[in-house]
Amino acid sequence: MTRTSPSRAAAPPSRSRAPRPAATAVLSLAMVVLGQLPGTVSAQDVEARFPGVRLGLVYEAGSGRQGLAVKPFAGRFGGDAIASQVEAIIGRDLRYSDRFAVIDSLPASMADSGVNYGIWDALGAVYLVTGQVEGAGTRFVLDLEVHDVTYGQLMQRGRFQIPNPDDANFRMAVHIASDAVVRWVTGEPGMAASRIAFAREGRAKEIWVVDSDGENLRRLTGAGSITLSPDWSPDGRRMIYTSFRGDGDPRLFELDLTTGRERRIEPGVDGLHMTPSYHPDGQVIAFSAVGGNNPGIYTYNLSRNCCLSKLTGSRRSDDISPTYSPDGRNIAFMSNRLAGTASPQIHLMPAGGGEPDLLSPYEFRSGGYYTSPEWSPVTDRVVFHGRIGRGRYQILVSEVADRGRRLVQLTSEGNNEDPSWAPDGRHIVFVGERSYGFGLMVVDAVTGATRLVVPSVRADVPAWSPSLEATTQEALRAGSR
Amino acid sequence: MIDRRIAVCMLAAGALGFAACGSDPPPPPPEPEPPPAQQPVNQDSIDAERQRIADSIRAVREREEDMRRARASLVEMVFFDYDRSEITSDAERVLRAKLEVLRAFPAVQLRIAGHADDRGSTEYNLALGSRRAESVRQFFVTFGIPASRFSTTSFGEERPLEQGTTEAAYARNRRAEFQVTAGENTIR
Repeated sequence: MTRTSPSRAAAPPSRSRAPRPAATAVLSLAMVVLGQLPGTVSAQDVEARFPGVRLGLVYEAGSGRQGLAVKPFAGRFGGDAIASQVEAIIGRDLRYSDRFAVIDSLPASMADSGVNYGIWDALGAVYLVTGQVEGAGTRFVLDLEVHDVTYGQLMQRGRFQIPNPDDANFRMAVHIASDAVVRWVTGEPGMAASRIAFAREGRAKEIWVVDSDGENLRRLTGAGSITLSPDWSPDGRRMIYTSFRGDGDPRLFELDLTTGRERRIEPGVDGLHMTPSYHPDGQVIAFSAVGGNNPGIYTYNLSRNCCLSKLTGSRRSDDISPTYSPDGRNIAFMSNRLAGTASPQIHLMPAGGGEPDLLSPYEFRSGGYYTSPEWSPVTDRVVFHGRIGRGRYQILVSEVADRGRRLVQLTSEGNNEDPSWAPDGRHIVFVGERSYGFGLMVVDAVTGATRLVVPSVRADVPAWSPSLEATTQEALRAGSR
Repeated sequence: MIDRRIAVCMLAAGALGFAACGSDPPPPPPEPEPPPAQQPVNQDSIDAERQRIADSIRAVREREEDMRRARASLVEMVFFDYDRSEITSDAERVLRAKLEVLRAFPAVQLRIAGHADDRGSTEYNLALGSRRAESVRQFFVTFGIPASRFSTTSFGEERPLEQGTTEAAYARNRRAEFQVTAGENTIR
């Protein structure tokens, strides 16, 4: 992977005239100095303490979002019953992609047949999305087009199977179309067709799941116990987590999301098992055993139920929260092993074990606190949260190649913890607590745009799924048989 | 144990008016002579008997209180400093009391559960709770109690003793809790 050009790793170069994929922007030059908020320190303070560390959101010159208009969708053969519903979902998905200035919810009179580029150009659109929903038996077909308004030509078109709105896969099927628009225009992956799993406080602490747009909130586990640290398999078909069910100690369980079957993982090491994380091959997990005789980070082969291997750890420190690089060759994890400080730091090591290297900024005996790392699914960047100033936690991103010399701080208000990357490699879900509300929040690492995706839930340890396009299409095919 | 058996026996003997303590009662000796009629009651001996019964009851009660305290001291919580797992001097006093009980009743086994306040990450706090529980186990092991008499677990920040975000609430939540998992019936 080319470290100097992470965006190239994220996606093939776009042939369109869209601005350069802005994934690099986060780590580039200019800085927006953070305002002085109570309980936070300024960027200058942090930068003065850590030479070379730069905080703040970065905007690349010319990356102003381009206008994208959504023409009111048409319907034929019964498709008009759901056309406006489909249009609304796609319009909001494109807004949530944070890549466009979306012009939608237009009057139905704009739905005239044909495309008059002059009108759309006058409205400020660089791109135009049109859609037609046709009834096809008990289901629908969405015919979707993206036009380049400036050049006055069709860029891409595609057809998407949409089930009935009462089908469990209806919204996800529409999200797949939204991601196609993002891919057609920018050449990069979207994140609309994905879900977020998290632990939710209630009478018990169970795993809940919600669509990327905040819809379809529902409970996934029902053990009546404490459940923590979910992670999605790379194909989105399974989930692994820590649960206190059974003997009352934290243990690992894997849930098959297709069949609903759950199994306990018994890797054969004593201590408490926690923070499981899939290798990109989906067969191996890394996890932590704490307490016990031989604590540390281990790998275990789930598909063969074998091959326990210890990577690192000793009784002198806690080594937890392993997370794989997209190529599976490296692991980032949290450890408080450094002598002189008991403080948690983010470390890197080869996936087979080996000498760890520090990723978070080292502060000798100053009690730095950096935890909950997650490696981006597409680039060599790690997100984690850290204590900045007095007791406030903020979301931080570090380029692996920088080894802690530069940090990008994505939040500045309230408390922000437990970040997890979306499959597009630019959005991050986290647990946020603000003056105006709390819950699951999403921040765009490129523009800094932030939204509450699930407000007012006591949420914990969210995990963003990979793209669920393949699993959804499979479910749709099974449903049509 | 023996003390208690004797005490109970004496209590029973006093209440029922015959002596049958210790080993099997010997067969009653033959009584060739009829009892003397109208023997005057000796008030002093009645008082002495009453006193002996009262003493026995008190001894039993004291013993019971002693055991109740022993059981209570086994499950008394200990508290920790923020983000630390070292045993504080307050905690040491509590653990030393447990140490005496653990030595006196070798069948007793303890489950130690570490907890954390909710500052910091959920996962870090789960590990911190475990570290606290291990720290307590290590304390006992240092004083010669076999490690096998303890099991440890952690609830991290999941089971706060007190809700709230005050330092007082946080301090109450940074703790280790104890549960007697074996040998509780031997404490008597």
